[in-house]
Formats: sequence, C-alpha cells, structure tokens
Amino acid sequence: MVLGISGYGVAVPRLRIKREDYAKAWGSFSAAGVNEKAVAGFDEDMLTLATKVGQRALDSVPLKPDKITRFAFASTTPPYTEKLLSGTILAGLGAPGETYTTDHTSSTRAGTEALLAGFEHLTGNPGGNALVAAADAPQASMWDAIEHGMGAGAAGFVLSGFALLAEFEGSSSVVSEHFGERFRPRDEQVTRDLNVKKFSEGSFVSNTTKAASALLKKLGRKPEDYAHVVIQQPDARAPASAAGKLGFQDPQLAAGMVSANLGDLGAASTPVGLAAALEASQVGDRILVVSYGSGAGSDALSFKVISDRKPAFTVSKETARKEYIDYVQYLKLKGAIR
Amino acid sequence: MAHVSVPMYWRTIPQRYRLVGLQCKKCGKVNFPPKGVCKYCNASSEFTEVRLSGRGKVHTFTLIGAGGAPPEFAEQEKAGGVYPVTIVELDEGPKVIGQMADVNPKDVKIGMPVRAELRRIYEEEGVVRYGFKFVPLEGGA
Amino acid sequence: MRKVAIVGAGQSRYGEFPDKSIKELFLEAYQDMAKSVDRNFEPKRIGAAYIGNLGCGGFQLGNMSALVSEYVGLPYIHAMRIENACASGGYALATAAMDVMAGVHDVVLAGGVEKMTDVSGLKTKYWLGVSGDTEYERLAGTTFSGLYALIAQRHMHEFGTTREHLSMVAVKNHKNGAQNPKAQFQRETTLEKAMKAPMVAAPLNLFDCCSTTDGASAVLVTSAEKAKEFTDTPIYIEGFGTASDYLAIHDRAATTTLEGTRRAAEQAYKMAGIGPKDIQLAEVHDCFTIAELLAYEDLGFCEKGKAGPYIAEGHTEISGDKPVNASGGLKAKGHPIGATGTGQAYEMFHQLRGSVQKPTRQVKGVERGLLHNVGGSGGTVVVTVLAR
Repeated sequence: MVLGISGYGVAVPRLRIKREDYAKAWGSFSAAGVNEKAVAGFDEDMLTLATKVGQRALDSVPLKPDKITRFAFASTTPPYTEKLLSGTILAGLGAPGETYTTDHTSSTRAGTEALLAGFEHLTGNPGGNALVAAADAPQASMWDAIEHGMGAGAAGFVLSGFALLAEFEGSSSVVSEHFGERFRPRDEQVTRDLNVKKFSEGSFVSNTTKAASALLKKLGRKPEDYAHVVIQQPDARAPASAAGKLGFQDPQLAAGMVSANLGDLGAASTPVGLAAALEASQVGDRILVVSYGSGAGSDALSFKVISDRKPAFTVSKETARKEYIDYVQYLKLKGAIR
Repeated sequence: MAHVSVPMYWRTIPQRYRLVGLQCKKCGKVNFPPKGVCKYCNASSEFTEVRLSGRGKVHTFTLIGAGGAPPEFAEQEKAGGVYPVTIVELDEGPKVIGQMADVNPKDVKIGMPVRAELRRIYEEEGVVRYGFKFVPLEGGA
Repeated sequence: MRKVAIVGAGQSRYGEFPDKSIKELFLEAYQDMAKSVDRNFEPKRIGAAYIGNLGCGGFQLGNMSALVSEYVGLPYIHAMRIENACASGGYALATAAMDVMAGVHDVVLAGGVEKMTDVSGLKTKYWLGVSGDTEYERLAGTTFSGLYALIAQRHMHEFGTTREHLSMVAVKNHKNGAQNPKAQFQRETTLEKAMKAPMVAAPLNLFDCCSTTDGASAVLVTSAEKAKEFTDTPIYIEGFGTASDYLAIHDRAATTTLEGTRRAAEQAYKMAGIGPKDIQLAEVHDCFTIAELLAYEDLGFCEKGKAGPYIAEGHTEISGDKPVNASGGLKAKGHPIGATGTGQAYEMFHQLRGSVQKPTRQVKGVERGLLHNVGGSGGTVVVTVLAR
C-alpha cells in the first residue's frame, strides 16, 4: 500500500527578532544567512505548539482526533525531561488514550525519527492514521555564538494511506559516534558546543551525505530528480557543504530554507522545511528531506507530491504573522534578566 | 500562589484543554464552566458533554499592569508587559473569562472575534498548569 | 420579631500599623465603642459577638473570634467569625440584628477587624485575589482590580461612562476623607492627578483602587426596648437585606449590574417600608471607583447607566441632595476588609446623632441613612437602613 502525508499544519510563535538587533547588542550576529528568527512567547512551550500543529494537521485533512492510531512527538526542548509528553498533547486534542505514542527527544534528528515511527506503524496498520508533531525552541547561553540563530517553530503531519498530498517513497538512516559538538548534559539547561568547527562540520557532512546517498542509491534516483531538498539548518549556510557534496544546487534548497526567517528550529527544522517545500511544490515534484542530530545521526526521506491541495496553515502564512521585539525584550522573555 | 492542588487542577482538564461544556438535557442551554444544576433553568442536573468550538467575541476586557497582576502572573507581566484579560461570549452562548495572547494590548476591542488555544497558564509546585487563552480569530482557525 | 437598635459605635484609626496586631486593633475599636455608649455600659451584658474577618494576615485560620473576644474582656460568650469577604462586617451586623430580633441575646457586639499590612506583597496579592472565582478568574490573571476593570470597561461601552466620571468618585471621597481623623488617607486630590495616575488594570488606575488597610470597628446592638437603658438617641436598624450572586462575573446575567446589591437593597427598603428617595445619606462600597457608580444605580439612586452624569451633577457631594461616602469611603477612609461594614455603621451612627468628629463632614439634619457592603466583586451583598 502507498503511504504518505495526507495533511499538515505549521505554527510559528508570533514574536520575531532581527539580526540587526543582535548586532546592536553584541557587535555582530553569528548565524549565517539568518535574517530574523522566531521567539516563543512566555506562555508557549513545545507542548502547546505541538498541540496547535497537531490540531491544524488534523483539520487540514480533515480528520477527527478519534481516528488517530499512532502519535509521535518530537522536540529537544520539551518542558519536562521526565514526564510522558504525548499525554498532554492527546488530552489537548481529545484523541483516545488507547493510542500508542512515543516521545522523541535527545537530538535534532527527533523530527524525522517521529515521521519514520509514523510510517513504520502504518506499514503494519495500513488503515490507520499516524499523527506526528515536531516542535522545538533550542536554547543556549546568551554568551555563546550558537545562541544567535536559535529560533522556535512547529509542524504537524497526518500520515496515512488515503487522500495523500505526497507519497512516501522510502528512507535511509545513519548513526555514528561523535561528541563535543552541540550537546547538553543532563543537569544543564542550555545547549553547548565545544566549537571544534572542522570536526563538527565533518560529522554533519558525513552523516547527512551518507544517509542521503544511501537513499538515492536505494531508490535509483539522481540529484536532479528532486525539485526540493530540505537539509537540517542550524543556520542557512550549513546545508551548503552537504548539498554540494551530494550534487544538489542552491535553487533546490531555496523553498526549504526556513532558517532564513525563522532561525534554527532544532528537531522541527526539517519538518517545517518539509512543510515549506510541500507548499512550494507542484504535482510530480520530488522532495528529499535530510535531518541531522548531533552525537550523531541522520535520516533521509524521499517524497513525491501527488496533489496540489494546500492546507490552511502553511509556512508562509505563519511566517507572515509577526511582531518584532528588541534585544532587551528578548532577554526578558528568555529569562536572562531575572 | 493560587494553591489550586494538582488533583483539583487535573479534574478540570476537559474544560481547560478542550472547553468541554455541559448541555442541559431539559432546556438545551450550555453551561460552561460546568454547574451542578443548570444555571439557566435551575431545574436539571442531567447534562450531555459537548466540546465547544472555542470561538467567540470579546464581551469586555481589561489590560493588567504590574499592580493588577496576581503572583502567578507576576513574572509573565515583568517579562512581557501588560496583558489583556477578557470575558468572551462563546458562540454556543456561555461567557467565560480568559487571558488573551498573541495580540497587541491596544488592539483589543469589545466585539473582537477570538478563538481558544492551549497555553501555559502558570506553574505551581514545579508542575506546569496548561489551559486555554484566547487569540485573535484572524490569526488562525 | 423585636425591633433592633445600635447604642454604641467605635473604630480604630484606619491605616498601616506595624506595631498593632488584630488583638490591639480590636481592643481600640471596642474601647472606642464603649466610650460612645451614653450610660450603663457593662461588658458582662454582652451575650454574643459576631466578628467579621477575612484573613488575619494568614496566621489564625480557625477560632479567631474566640481569640479577640477574650482579649477585650468578653470570655465565654457566643463568639463567631463571620466571613463573606469584604462584606463580612455588614453581615456581622445583620447576623447580630437577627440574633436580637429572634430574642436569643439582648445585647450583642457586631464588629470586624483586619490586619492587611503585615504580610509580604506577594501574600497580600494572594489574599486579595482569592475571593473571586479562583479557578477561572484568578487563573485568567486577575485580582479584584481586574474584575472591576472588566465591569468598568463594559459600563463605559454600554452607557458612555467616562474616565472622568470614575475619577470624580476618587476626588469626592478624598475630599471627604481629608475631614475624617479616622481615615487612612487625609489628603485631597485633584481630578487631573486622579485621571493621570498609573494604570493598574485598564481602565482602572491607582486612584481608582482602594488601598490595603489595618483597622477594626465595633458596634453594640440591642433591642429597641433595651436601647433606652443605654441612650436617649438609639439608632434603629429599620431594615436590612442580604443577597448573593454568581461568584464569577462571566456567570452573571448582566456584567454592569451587581444583582446582589439590587436584591439586598430591595429587601432592606421593603423591611423598612421605604424607597431609595427616602435615603438621605449613604455609605457605599467603593472598593473601586466604578463600584460606587454601580451602587448609585443598583441602590436605585439613579437609573441604570446614569451614574456618570449623576455624580457629575453633584448629587452625591456632602452638599448635594444624596451625599454618598461622607466618611471618605473605602477609597480614602480605608478598607480593612472584615471591619469595613461595621465601620460604615460607625460613621452612620455619628452622622445620625449629629456627633461626627469634624463638623465640616456632618451632613445636616439627616434622619435616615443606608449602608452598602459588598463581598469581593459582588458575590455577597448586605444593605442596611439606619434611622433616628
């Protein structure tokens, strides 16, 4: 049976801060290619955002919550490090408690892990509906360069075998052992990076290119078969080296380059990027999604767009809804000034 | 702190997360928040649960500054400034109080269409209490 | 049922007193009351004490009635704490009246005491915010300023009440309070200052809101017959009414009416056999300026929606035809929650007997006055009619 995406919804917090305001405060802005980024409101967190996109994804099909047979949540910054997170979201949606759910955290690969978990479920339950919600707002110390690009956003997907917008063609995954790049020990609240640049870039490029080329080979595809390529975006320049090695061109990356206006979306980076690519696609377009989680690993997924039906809550609609704050307001919200 | 215990808060999750109201079997009116006896006909304790749409209009509002914020919201007010609180007349009939979010305080007007959305309300004893707040309708569905 | 009268009334100064606890404050009020009884005052004649109190600063949750009554030399009596938020004092008086009317006791103390300034700012806000509907109104981010602001906003929308109308209440009451040696605030203010004060919960600003206050009050209630033993000029409780309303404002039929006030006033007028036009002086519950405007309407002094023009026309000044809050009201005199209701009775007792401390505040020739005491945002209300 053909499986795929039958609906999706995006949510981005309303507040934004521009690179210029960072530059005013620090003298420079370190996230390449990021013009502005989204900032979660005081009363938002990854569970409220996940519930929001879960509902939007359901509404886009439309599908009632009691039809959900599998749920997967993804975030590296959930409000609890220990508490079953899916429970809150299902209670918010009104979905049945007798549903198998999984919470995916621990790296920014969590978003695609959740998508793959959904497809895995459907392989054994082709009549089912898997709801996936990825919401993330990475955090780092105000003093660290990696903080500059960290934004906030979420995307939800309904996966099934019916009323598809895009078919799922397959995936490949890779893991490796790398450390000292982007990590957060258990007793710390903010993400760190030891800044061994070449070493971390090496891990990023090697994992993503391995996963992507394995998939292309498995499916018998060439780079030019893909209208859109969405690669993990800690900033807007990171995908370039992986893309270059794989033979993709800049125009293929353009639609999915959500970090330019929203920032580094962590585990929601490729899910939101995928939503952007779906929005920009026409029937027949193929989309390649390549995630990356430090420590490390990568998933590559291939989709083919078969419908031009567009849902209500797209990346461009959510990106357009914004209000700017300055750096002082940003710090107050992030709690740096107590 | 408001001293609303964990079980007390938990019992109201259907109302706070999903706006579940009680429709009187006798007179058909929707009680939200729930009452033990229908407050419209005062004659029945039999209800059907009904999930409200969360949509409505602003009936009245206020803008809470530092002096008006209870301790549970003191940090929110310090971090984000003045916040709007409204009484919303829901499409299904009942009125309910709720904070507004995602809106510039000076744009709040009586009659403004709004919808409910899940937000963090406050934290007590380390437990996050979630519930509905209202956002402008044109911001979403 | 027996007719009831007040034969003595006293109160402490209202204000902030770090060196006084509820015990000392209540003693001050009690002794002030004892002094005001013309003759034959004997503590052992007091059979019961009804004491209004909300929180005691949080330290004594149970049995505070026993604590303060024995402190002032009234051990072993029927002692009860009455709690209906800010209407506690008024309800203590109504309960005392019912006791005497029913003939259970002959001489009864009704009073109240509150200590609000001992606790930290955060704790104060806790106490001040939990007499509304805590689950919904509190957790929407309001304390009472927010709730009354919701009412004010709607009143302005429905009836065209203005920012200026609200501030007129503050100006009038501060002018009156400046003449009251017992008042917390004894300085006048200007309309401009009141209108420009910092916003607390829009549209209510700092000058629209009463303060936190320490204070105590006490009145002596007896049957009309026994009253002659104590004084030649007892003040009769001609009527009283008590009513409640839906606790949360959003549950009420109308946002701009305190149904509790309307019904309690109706009952009080009926019991006294009078109407609103027969009231010559009123002490109303102006915890917020909008509350006084609502009172004009809900007590029947003017039509619903017309309170703004009513105050603008000067009716409720001491020199007007319907003086309201000659004491300075809650706004200027202060609002020690549990004590406020019987503090209003203290004021009216002296107004009716022509014995107000400062003659500039004395309303001339007043024969019948009304007390209006509201719990929180209107969940409970008591209206009392006193007459010579």
